[in-house]
Amino acid sequence: MSYARLNSLLIVMIVTVALIWLAIPFTMAILWSLVDPAEPWTADKLLPPVMSFYRWVDMWENSSLKYALISSYSLAPTAAILGLCLAMPTAFALGRFNFAGRELAKLLCLLPLVVPPFITAIFFSALLFQLGLNTWRFGAIVFAHSILFLPYAIRILTVSFENVRQDHIDAARDLGASPWARFRVAYLPALKPGISATLLIVFIQSIEEFAIAFIIGSPDIVTIPTLLYSALGQDFVRPNAAVLSLILVVPNVFLMLILERLMRSANPALSSGKG
Amino acid sequence: MTMRNWIQIFALLMPGLGLILVLIGSVVYIAIAQSFGYYALLGESAFSTEFWSEVFSRKIFSRAVRYSIYIGFWSAVLSVALAYPLAIWLRKPFPGSIGLGALLKAPLLVHGLVAAFLYINVISYNGLLNQTMQGIGIWAEPRRLQNDSNAFGVLLLQVWKNMPFALLVLTGSVQGISDDVLDAARDLGAGPWARFRKIIAPLTMSGMQAAMVIIFIGALADFTFQTTVGPTNRQSMAQLMVSFKSRGDWHSAAVVGVSLMIIALLGSALLALLTRTVMRGSPR
Amino acid sequence: MAAIGIRNLSKSFDGFQALSKFSLDVQQGEFLTLLGPSGCGKTTLLKIISGFLEPSTGSISIGGEDITHVPPESRDTALCFQSYALFPHLNVLQNLEFGLKQKRVSRDQRDARVSEVAAKLGLETQLSKLPNQLSGGQQQRVSLGRALVMRPSVILFDEPLSNLDAKLRDQVRVEIRRIQQDYSLTAIYVTHDQSEALAMSDRIVVLNDGKIVQVDTPEQLYAQPKTRFVADFIGGANLITGRVCSQTKENLTSVETLMGQIQTSHRINKSSENVELCWRPERAQIGKGPYCGTIVHRAFQGQFTDLILEENDMIFRIQTNNDRFRVGEVITFSILPDDVVVLEADG
Repeated sequence: MSYARLNSLLIVMIVTVALIWLAIPFTMAILWSLVDPAEPWTADKLLPPVMSFYRWVDMWENSSLKYALISSYSLAPTAAILGLCLAMPTAFALGRFNFAGRELAKLLCLLPLVVPPFITAIFFSALLFQLGLNTWRFGAIVFAHSILFLPYAIRILTVSFENVRQDHIDAARDLGASPWARFRVAYLPALKPGISATLLIVFIQSIEEFAIAFIIGSPDIVTIPTLLYSALGQDFVRPNAAVLSLILVVPNVFLMLILERLMRSANPALSSGKG
Repeated sequence: MTMRNWIQIFALLMPGLGLILVLIGSVVYIAIAQSFGYYALLGESAFSTEFWSEVFSRKIFSRAVRYSIYIGFWSAVLSVALAYPLAIWLRKPFPGSIGLGALLKAPLLVHGLVAAFLYINVISYNGLLNQTMQGIGIWAEPRRLQNDSNAFGVLLLQVWKNMPFALLVLTGSVQGISDDVLDAARDLGAGPWARFRKIIAPLTMSGMQAAMVIIFIGALADFTFQTTVGPTNRQSMAQLMVSFKSRGDWHSAAVVGVSLMIIALLGSALLALLTRTVMRGSPR
Repeated sequence: MAAIGIRNLSKSFDGFQALSKFSLDVQQGEFLTLLGPSGCGKTTLLKIISGFLEPSTGSISIGGEDITHVPPESRDTALCFQSYALFPHLNVLQNLEFGLKQKRVSRDQRDARVSEVAAKLGLETQLSKLPNQLSGGQQQRVSLGRALVMRPSVILFDEPLSNLDAKLRDQVRVEIRRIQQDYSLTAIYVTHDQSEALAMSDRIVVLNDGKIVQVDTPEQLYAQPKTRFVADFIGGANLITGRVCSQTKENLTSVETLMGQIQTSHRINKSSENVELCWRPERAQIGKGPYCGTIVHRAFQGQFTDLILEENDMIFRIQTNNDRFRVGEVITFSILPDDVVVLEADG
């Protein structure tokens, strides 16, 4: 079977390329983050001669990493909750009512994804200047993040609202449920995975967002991406950049994996209940 | 629908869609207004086209436009060109295909800045690549590969980051073609090439257009890859805009920003058209 | 010479035997139906004939030429898919001429053939529509037309009517048969619907577990099923086992059953053995007769009435044109010896 052999050859090739593509750079990053300053890692050695967590401890104690972590991890949940609150009514309208122009409204919701992020960032900061709000940095970033990532939130929640079954609502009414009881029994079960997915996706996007945090936040607010950016620029210290890269990438990979599972359970076919 | 219903829906759309329109609308409005001299932070605000003519006459601007289009176009084309055969190959599941797909899509989970660091780490003066090439004996001494003047580094990173995205979109549209339709074509005498040209290509065109346009806009407006690994003697449009802005020259920044939006729009339309022409099955 | 010759065909998937040692000849211009429950191997056989599957062993020829290893695109067969498999991005006209273009048929020829087929199928006004603008019945016709324009040596149908509603199904059934006869096409038709098979076919192949159970004309198959499986699968059947007692007259055999003595004119191979008998519900003649039963259920079906009778803990079913019988009545009936079929043991 020459086809099968060709196929396995291709598999081996792609896996090799993907490993060079992924595994080698990440291994290098991990090794570099463990280089102990006692002895430099020179070109002639396969592994760093002395390995320790010195860089990690040092970064934690003597750089703005701590502040970056605090600001990133307080911006993101705030933006996620605000985004959820803002998205809910629109998603409810798009998911439960059939009105003229609904498709147009859905399309317009995608706008923040089409405008390049640096344009949004710069002219949003111009807007803040005009309004005299240019020192209100934390709030401005939260506001911008929650609106920029609304397209994801609205999309996910609209599908969730579409999944609420009218017969469940009718059955609850038929059995004399109050509006609150109706919401709990008919809406909430269908919305739950969508709500978690929304919170998570805005959270991840906010942690990773660079343009807004860079333009509006500087110089007062440092987030992990802006810190990494400056570590890659003028003061490039390789082990420090390695530490920052790993801090940015590792939690997010796990969050993304959780998100993917959530999205799958928010899938219409799976969450619409029986028959 | 009654008036009351309309008011209800309008009220529901306000906090979500309403805010989106207000924010994006005012951002675009301010950009356009500032490019014509309004909303000056210092000095007086008045209508003027001098910023447009001044920025357009500068060499640095036309270089940035050409450079950004170069990056945007090639990032989109290369990412899609790599992803497309992979998507077709992965259309039918085979042992290991799911794991392979996950491996190929893994860069989606990695932040662009991290990717930039990984890349710098590998190609730096005493990085792994230089050592390997020296070790094998191809290069006599380490070469300077960072910030190469052809921006191959930027393109590589763009492809690294966007190829998985293109793969995601294209896998969806390739898997949307039913086996029966391909079997029918085969039964009617279409060989592998005819099946590709006449069935697969036209049916995946819209997915390909979407991938092309989204990658193009993203790469056209790139800032981070350009400033970390890009050539030092050239600027991307986003970089130019940011540098005008940080000098306090908001009007020139606005001219660059508005031009960037216009190029994104026109370029997307052209790319979509180009994709259509290339992918359409031959007419009768 | 046979239009299609299938010799000792076997196919197995990961240890599952889908077809075993299958041999069959199909005559030029014949309408042959492969009938059987799902998983009996009929679709596998169709896919082997059209070339999408290669047999594990055995050979297959069309018009005397061995095509066992010829790929589907080079075979002179045309397949009508259950899902229609129309090209969604091409309009009706482009769908119809797709195959002709692949075969590089000249433009004049192409136009002539397409317009002939379009006229025959009543598609002239639909030519510029896309498949998703057509009704199910129209899509079905395009799929048939796309196969017909190829003028194939063999046309293959994979349950083409299963996605149509009942009324349309009856209509298209007649249409397919008429077109097959007009063009004197050799056709192989796969279905699990026995009434479709009986109504359309010249011959029916009943398949079970990848093997041929019986090959016969529809009339023969119905009147003389070979095994219990065939009797049960095609039409309603009353089955009863009994012991052979005597050869009464020259052609009649008497069998002792729970119903009493039943006479059959069909041959029994070995004497003094247990046999299984089968008779059709509509063959019972109500009136005087040796058999009787109490009506326990009655279902009026329009042109006839179904009666379920009970006697000696046995249930059987008879059909009559008389709609005046009621539950609880006891009726007597007889069965002609010609209508009692002796079954072979299931293979």
